[in-house]
Amino acid sequence: MANNQTILKVEDLRTHFFTRSGVVKAVDGISFDLHQGETLGIVGESGSGKSMTAWSILGLVPKPAGRIVGGRILYQGEDLLEKSAAEMREIRGSGICMVMQDPSTSLNPVFTIGNQVYETLRMDSRQSRSSLRQKAVEILSSVRIPAPERRLASFPHQMSGGMRQRVVGAIAMARDPNVLIADEPTTSLDATIQLQYLTLLKEIQAATGAAIIFITHDFGIVARMCDRVAVMYAGKIVEQADVLQLFDSPSHPYTEALLRSVPDLDDQTDYLPSIDGQPPTLDNLPIGCSFAPRCPHVFARCEEFPPEFEIEPGHQARCWIRYGGN
Amino acid sequence: MVATNGAGNGDALVRLDGVKKHYAVTSGLVLQRNIGAVKAVDGISLTIFPGETYSLVGESGCGKTTTSRMVLLVEPTTEGDIYYEGRPLSDINRDERKSFHASVQAVFQDPWSSLNPRMRVQSIISEPLTTHQRVTKQEVRTRVGELLETVGLNSFHATRYPHEFSGGQRQRIAIARALSTQPKLIVLDEPVSALDVSIRAQILNLLKELQSSQGLSYLLIAHNLATVRYMSHRVGVMYLGKIVEESDPETLFSNPMHPYTRALISASLPADPRRQREEMVLTGEVPSPLNPPSGCTFHTRCPFATEECRTDIPEYRELEAGHNVACHLY
Repeated sequence: MANNQTILKVEDLRTHFFTRSGVVKAVDGISFDLHQGETLGIVGESGSGKSMTAWSILGLVPKPAGRIVGGRILYQGEDLLEKSAAEMREIRGSGICMVMQDPSTSLNPVFTIGNQVYETLRMDSRQSRSSLRQKAVEILSSVRIPAPERRLASFPHQMSGGMRQRVVGAIAMARDPNVLIADEPTTSLDATIQLQYLTLLKEIQAATGAAIIFITHDFGIVARMCDRVAVMYAGKIVEQADVLQLFDSPSHPYTEALLRSVPDLDDQTDYLPSIDGQPPTLDNLPIGCSFAPRCPHVFARCEEFPPEFEIEPGHQARCWIRYGGN
Repeated sequence: MVATNGAGNGDALVRLDGVKKHYAVTSGLVLQRNIGAVKAVDGISLTIFPGETYSLVGESGCGKTTTSRMVLLVEPTTEGDIYYEGRPLSDINRDERKSFHASVQAVFQDPWSSLNPRMRVQSIISEPLTTHQRVTKQEVRTRVGELLETVGLNSFHATRYPHEFSGGQRQRIAIARALSTQPKLIVLDEPVSALDVSIRAQILNLLKELQSSQGLSYLLIAHNLATVRYMSHRVGVMYLGKIVEESDPETLFSNPMHPYTRALISASLPADPRRQREEMVLTGEVPSPLNPPSGCTFHTRCPFATEECRTDIPEYRELEAGHNVACHLY
């Protein structure tokens, strides 16, 4: 489905937070390409920097503590870090859009659904009330909201979580963006509703050809939704691969351990291999590999920061055990 | 209604028999009239045996947490009774109630809100202990140290505050608190869903080890089927206040019968892009328990629903040994 045209290219992005207790390197030198029509999964635990990556792309890093201190974000060949606030606002409306985790906080509780859909549509051009209304109905029915004409007058609290999240999705897709960033859009939804939503997202993607960055911690969602995967740990991408490569031959000890520690519904096991220790705190990282303190394969070389090693074409891992074809 | 598995009720630790919980919905300011009832739990029966894990799965609003609150005696039942070691909880006296609370403890989902931020770990863990037993300060200190080591922490952690710990460590503290009164049953309400993925397996393994070393029973409330399969000896699938299917996990997940169970399994995404499940995307959402559908409450979303399903409530019966289903298809 994906063709080869790169729509978004992130190069050595660094987003740091300057706090009283030191510099927190939330995103620390990550690079990836997003092709048209492709779904890239960014997997990681809380604090691994996956959400901050999304916010950096959108130019929404919390100020003044947070700052992008290095790297480039090329959208259709232009560096987003050099855009003015007004230009970024336009790009956020029509080029790159985002669906946040919790639909009950991303919709405004005191405005009707209609109002919030119109707001986005009006950014395009001046339109008559009736054509706005017609477009809004179209958009809501594209995300399978039953009786969309009546729903325009509803307030967010009158809808279920699944329906609210579909409205958020509809608003994000309203102006046909090229890139949709979905930050854990289904964590607050029930399993059967999650499946509905994911299926819908795939259909919308097939219809519009948008590229999706899917941020999640769930390998089940990655396996179902993504073409490529980037695994993040402590602000860095530790492994990057096509989805089949990643699941067939996970090449960073973190990815490998994480995949083995998730219980499997199709398999009766008595013991899950778990990962020792805790995720690190970002203001006090080891100099070398951040995963070294928890890694079962740790050796002397791990005190040096590992470069990216190519395992096979399109598959890289940041781990010294991959050095010299090991 | 058929009781649970055939192992005999004599040695059951906890047994629920046709338990219901209805919340009245009233209208009017002064003369409040009942205009309906939310049937949060609507007649469920289950048995928990010593040393075993019974899991309740289902989506939000299906009544699994309400069930656990009734087992904890936080919420009185509307109808039906809960038996603990063969005695109905409806006619126990104050003293017995107190000892019941000591032997049934709970661990909650969110270790950020379930631990008091202004108490030291020492006081958090010893609070149930000092409530239920006469103990000296020295005994408390020794016991807290032992408990912390049992859950994989150190005795020097006792003087710290909750904010000094990570999520996984906090959940260990909550487990230590639950263990302090040497309970027989622990209610685990989504014990790992608020934790980081790399930490979950640690906590699940700890819970399993404690179960085998101390002979604990668990009532596990969870929505993640893979976790449930890993932890349980018996699983009940709940939909709108009723158990629609119950079995051991092996049978339930390899041979699910109720369409809702099959939909839940289909919605549980395997961490393997090559594996495909039977596709069963349900339409619609869970109906309101205030006004549940007639007949089988699942018929509004069931792809196999017939006329019979709309009118008749399916009987909950044993289809094969230890496998109970409430569905007209069988």
